[in-house]
Amino acid sequence: MPRDDGIGAAVRRKEDFRFITGRGSYTDDLNRPGQAFAAFLRSPHAHARVDSINVSPAMAVEGVVAVYTGQDLADAGVNGLPCGWQVHSKNGEPMAEPAHPALAQGKVRHVGDAVAVVIAESRTAARAGAEALEVAYTPLPAIPNMKSAKGAVATVHDDVTNNQCYDWELGDEAEIDAALAASAHQVTLSLVNNRLVPNPMEPRVAIGDFDHASGEHTLYTTSQNPHVIRLLMGAFVLGLPEHKLRVVAPDVGGGFGSKIFHYAEEAVVTWAAAKLRRPVKWTSDRSEAFMTDAHGRDHETTVTLGLDADGKFNALKVITDANMGAYLSTFAPCVPTYLYATLLAGQYTTPKIYAGVRAWFTNTVPVDAYRGAGRPEATYVVERIVEEAARQIGVDPAELRKRNFIAPDAFPYPTPVALEYDSGNYAGTLDKAMAAVDYANFKSRQAASKAAGKLRGIGFSAYIEACGIAPSAVVGSLGARAGLYESGAVRVHPTGSVTFYTGTHSHGQGHETTFAQVIAERLGVPIDNVDVVHGDTNKIQFGMGTYGSRSLAVGGSALAKALDKVEAKAKKIAAHLMEASADDVEFKDGQFTVAGTDKSVGFGDVALTAYVPHNFPHDELEPGLEEQAFYDPANFTFPAGCHICEVEIDPDTGRTEIVNFVAADDFGNIVNPMIVEGQVHGGIAQGVGQALLEGCLYDGDGQLMTGSYMDYCMPRADDLPNFKVETQVTPCPHNPLGVKGCGEAGAIAAPAAVMNAVTDALRSAGVSKPIDMPATPSKIWSALNGA
Amino acid sequence: MEMQGEALIQAPKQVVWDALNDPTVLKEAIPGCEELTQDGEDGFAAKVRAKVGPVSARFAGKVQLSDIDPPNAYRIHGEGSGGAAGFAKGGAFVNLEDDGNGGTLLKYNVEANVGGKLAQIGSRLIDGAARKLADEFFDNFAKIATARAGLSKPENEKGSNEQPAEDDESSKVATSVSEDPSASEKGEDGQTGNQGTESNKGIPLWIWLSGLAVVLVGLLYVLS
Repeated sequence: MPRDDGIGAAVRRKEDFRFITGRGSYTDDLNRPGQAFAAFLRSPHAHARVDSINVSPAMAVEGVVAVYTGQDLADAGVNGLPCGWQVHSKNGEPMAEPAHPALAQGKVRHVGDAVAVVIAESRTAARAGAEALEVAYTPLPAIPNMKSAKGAVATVHDDVTNNQCYDWELGDEAEIDAALAASAHQVTLSLVNNRLVPNPMEPRVAIGDFDHASGEHTLYTTSQNPHVIRLLMGAFVLGLPEHKLRVVAPDVGGGFGSKIFHYAEEAVVTWAAAKLRRPVKWTSDRSEAFMTDAHGRDHETTVTLGLDADGKFNALKVITDANMGAYLSTFAPCVPTYLYATLLAGQYTTPKIYAGVRAWFTNTVPVDAYRGAGRPEATYVVERIVEEAARQIGVDPAELRKRNFIAPDAFPYPTPVALEYDSGNYAGTLDKAMAAVDYANFKSRQAASKAAGKLRGIGFSAYIEACGIAPSAVVGSLGARAGLYESGAVRVHPTGSVTFYTGTHSHGQGHETTFAQVIAERLGVPIDNVDVVHGDTNKIQFGMGTYGSRSLAVGGSALAKALDKVEAKAKKIAAHLMEASADDVEFKDGQFTVAGTDKSVGFGDVALTAYVPHNFPHDELEPGLEEQAFYDPANFTFPAGCHICEVEIDPDTGRTEIVNFVAADDFGNIVNPMIVEGQVHGGIAQGVGQALLEGCLYDGDGQLMTGSYMDYCMPRADDLPNFKVETQVTPCPHNPLGVKGCGEAGAIAAPAAVMNAVTDALRSAGVSKPIDMPATPSKIWSALNGA
Repeated sequence: MEMQGEALIQAPKQVVWDALNDPTVLKEAIPGCEELTQDGEDGFAAKVRAKVGPVSARFAGKVQLSDIDPPNAYRIHGEGSGGAAGFAKGGAFVNLEDDGNGGTLLKYNVEANVGGKLAQIGSRLIDGAARKLADEFFDNFAKIATARAGLSKPENEKGSNEQPAEDDESSKVATSVSEDPSASEKGEDGQTGNQGTESNKGIPLWIWLSGLAVVLVGLLYVLS
């Protein structure tokens, strides 16, 4: 009988009790003795020269301790923020990588760019001090969008005269052009992937601390990857060695990618704490989050698909402009390139693919990875053009996909865009989704809607993602300035309880439960006897953090390897206790047995023996039972599946209601189905938000027009239907748990499914011109009314 | 943001004009005004404190007048900084008409841009707050101007700012404009328009300042 807390069990999340009873310990819950508070003065201009900063009025405010400007940081030798990925243009030149000072030096480049920091005895005094600062700006012409960036009427950075970060390509353009020209059908779409604001529930917080006695700096921060922050901030910005810099990321209330990156505030409070010899705390308010957290998406794309007379895809050409914002955020350059163009094969056998990507600087908040990071953009392009092609050539969209799917026996399958898919069964998830949505009866539902005065449409999204990033050797060759392995350490305590130290980081994913289930399954200890520790560089050996659906695929694999080592050593100890050969010892359900005998010893006894080694094979083993492993994967994992959305549009109001949404996902093996379903729900909600509601807008002067929940529309419960979530299991063949990752699938798949459904509904009313996300009631009404 | 409107002040043009040229009157009439000084021949400098909810902020602004055609029309341009709150800049065209009943009808057409947190808040809040400040200013100013005119009581304003519209800013404001407010109509109703004051300098100033105050309000929302 399988364990009720092992692999495959829908265990309730261990961490939820503390979260839902208000006992979580988030960064803002931490307060250090003698702590001061920081407030940042932020630019109200999109682009301006900073002529002078008069700090005296701020220093005169009661309670203000210090005011620092960009010049103070420069004088102290503090460097700018680094970029973690270097992309080369097609001509071989490295990308333009302009300086990114933590506090503005001479110029501000987006609304919200930090100009100065005020540190005071209270948060109120710090804000009053920031209010009192007198800054003289000379406004400069702003570049609010990519169109004006290309026009280069002004330059965001003086040393990047054409505002272009890079002009990158993958594939042979001439060859693909020829293949397109030779195709029986050519279908073209222009698509905008709308800019999004990440909006994790918890805004960012950073506390700098300094131990005068040991010389150790500590940063408490809302991060998805504390070791990465230690590396970036320590080595590149502040020049602090790892052994004197501790980074702690305790409970973190959501990130969606926006807490991967190293932000200026982290470096400033760490530096200021050492300078002032007292802790310094900064807490973002929601308005600051809107104008400083890295945004997501913001692509403009033209895509052309060539098909032969039978509907087989011949060639795909994608030209994309990607907005980087004012500065390069930590991983920004790789998002529209290596996390995007490499996924343009989708689930299909398209033999020839070309992607040209130009990245631009604008006077807007930097753009970086946001749930899915490049893969939602790729899925949106592929699945929109495939569905459009099906409609234009008059083939059922499911049928057209099936004609072009990579067959289940074709794996490993090398795509023309650099990846090698390891496993998959795409027709399987399509069929499951079609059954769940009752595709066969869609036409009658559409007719019923029509009779009721509504427009009903259906849309598919057969997505694929590359997750579990990644093989260090591969990403290194693609420009990553870090490795992307993971580490785990299993410490078995003398009485048999277990602590697992992981380099991944949980900020909502449920690691404390999932990892504990794997340990319970493998060691036979109850899940309550297992604790998972993460988020502290002084506790965790090393780690690359959590993003790209990598925690279980990479971090879980490190855990599995560490458990292998624990088991091997424990078997030797058990063999000694049972006076048998280790080769004959079997371990199952927490019991060590000797094959063919009735001898057995429990895991707890072995653990105790390891720490009370009165009777112990000292000549061949050391006491203790604790093992560590690093795991560097052989390949990405490739979760895939099919989401189908059915919408009903009220033509009188333009409002879209999602009346049916099904997801059939293949995540490989599943440790906790309830957590997986929750991840899928959350992802779909964000995908629906992008498709129907969310959109970050700047005006022509570069002012952020959607800077609060008054104007930026987040999805709410009543915007969403009950999802039907199904899974198919095609195990990952190259990692020990056979898992693929599930965190991003919903956000990757949903936008195309929703927009294909909206497009289908509009087409039923004779509107063939597609509209862009978000498909707001006003856009839809205008399309229906020819406005 | 754009704001259009008009106000009827029950005082003769000359009285209104003089009052609007008197910094002490303006200082009294502008909500939260701490300082108002002549700045050059055709300009004012002002400091205005606005408080909304738990937050208060001080705006420093300067206004310049041009195309002065006393006592009929002017243009005004100004800008102000609210520190961490952001900035506002803009201009207005103002003109005055005799309403034929001894009152003065003031029409204004404002275009303003805000930046920083103010822009982030969204024009809806800013518009509402700006109108509220404009109302307050008119109310105050009408009292002072009518008192100066020796009238026993000021007629109260209504007219342009009927209510916080749900529509967007421009349309709200436009309501008053589209009413084609003939002075007499309002006069008959006893709904006196807001007291438009007219002085070359004064009117634009208040518009400007009310914009600033609006901004402040928005800020406060943001900060709170």
